[in-house]
Amino acid sequence: MMRSFIANAVFVIALGALTVSAQSPTKSTLPRTPDGKPDLTGVWQGGSTQRGSWEEANRGVGVGGSGRDPAAAVALSSNDRPTGREGAPYQPWAAQKVLEAFNRRGIDDPTSQCLPAGLPRTVMLGLFPQQIVQTPTQIIMLYEYMNVFRVIPLNAKHPEDLIPSYTGNSVGRWEGDTLVVDVIGFNDKTWLAGTGTFHTDALHITERFTRVNKDQINYEVTMEDPNVLTKPWTLTSTLMLREGTRLEEYICAENNIDPDRYEKLLKEGVKFTR
Amino acid sequence: MGRRLTEIGVLAASLLLLAMPLTAHHSFGAEYDVNKPITLTGVITKVEWTNPHSHFYIDVMDAKGNVVNWKFEGYNPAVLYRIGWKKDLMLKPGDKITVFGWQARDGGNWAHSREITLSNGNKLFFGPPAGTGDGGNSPAVEVR
Repeated sequence: MMRSFIANAVFVIALGALTVSAQSPTKSTLPRTPDGKPDLTGVWQGGSTQRGSWEEANRGVGVGGSGRDPAAAVALSSNDRPTGREGAPYQPWAAQKVLEAFNRRGIDDPTSQCLPAGLPRTVMLGLFPQQIVQTPTQIIMLYEYMNVFRVIPLNAKHPEDLIPSYTGNSVGRWEGDTLVVDVIGFNDKTWLAGTGTFHTDALHITERFTRVNKDQINYEVTMEDPNVLTKPWTLTSTLMLREGTRLEEYICAENNIDPDRYEKLLKEGVKFTR
Repeated sequence: MGRRLTEIGVLAASLLLLAMPLTAHHSFGAEYDVNKPITLTGVITKVEWTNPHSHFYIDVMDAKGNVVNWKFEGYNPAVLYRIGWKKDLMLKPGDKITVFGWQARDGGNWAHSREITLSNGNKLFFGPPAGTGDGGNSPAVEVR
């Protein structure tokens, strides 16, 4: 009887805690700027759900692995498809092209040429930090990976004649506590999220950044490209606050020997494809 | 082919692993063979703290008593610093280390490093797990 009472009490307390955590963030828990908007300013790690400093969050799992078994053969990279994620809705001919890139083990990855990784890949990768600097009129996003940046004016329109670019042209607006960023003006030289996930310059991306507590931003991204996709493709991820981390230089072209090595493998007929 | 890919997809779906998306800049899986794990002990002869990848070279004694120089690849300097490496304190020429990794597909004296054991016994990762950047276990698209 007593045990049952305790079990019930524990259940009720647990339910209460769940209810509290499920409530929308209150002004007391969410960092805000003087103008009342959620403050996204900080250094963040994409694709992680671990709280804490960079060292704390990455110590247990190690960077890119279980941290317990150095031989662990399976670890997701930004060009892997996360478990449980729905397949990218490519048109059949385009899906075939994506599959071919997968079977070539990603040697056609634009980043192997030291080109920028594009969106949303750059936001969702976890090996390198990214920084958000928020002002009332514009948001600046800095990415250590390939040292690229985005300047996102708020409540502005896209210029009419855009120069196609790797990271596109972004404009932002606040919808309640969510920063919504609209991005167009892409070139066709990046992968979206996964090996071979190509697109055309018709790509239109809508991102939603919602800081849900001190440690975490929920990131939702919808990709539209009628030239290759059958319907909009939506993915979700998280950005975790990494206090004390500084962005560093990443000059990829410094010593990039990999494209030559791929050519050598191909030329010598070394079997590496799936 | 289609059936095999479906099986791979099912296998991937059953492996709910705690892993975070990283990126490797390029495909380690294309260059290095997951079926050729190696552990070598040797003396460091040179270190390149460079982007997009760092490299170090070690002299290793082979079975015939000959000294062979091996090259290993790993993360770039900023990533290494963030996980605890210190260029001026660790991995200096003359240091004896043991390294675990995977050999290049072409069979040369070249490998992808994963874990390094320093002479004081400390272990640190120097590179990502095998297969990183090669697309993972299933393609981004459904294959039926």
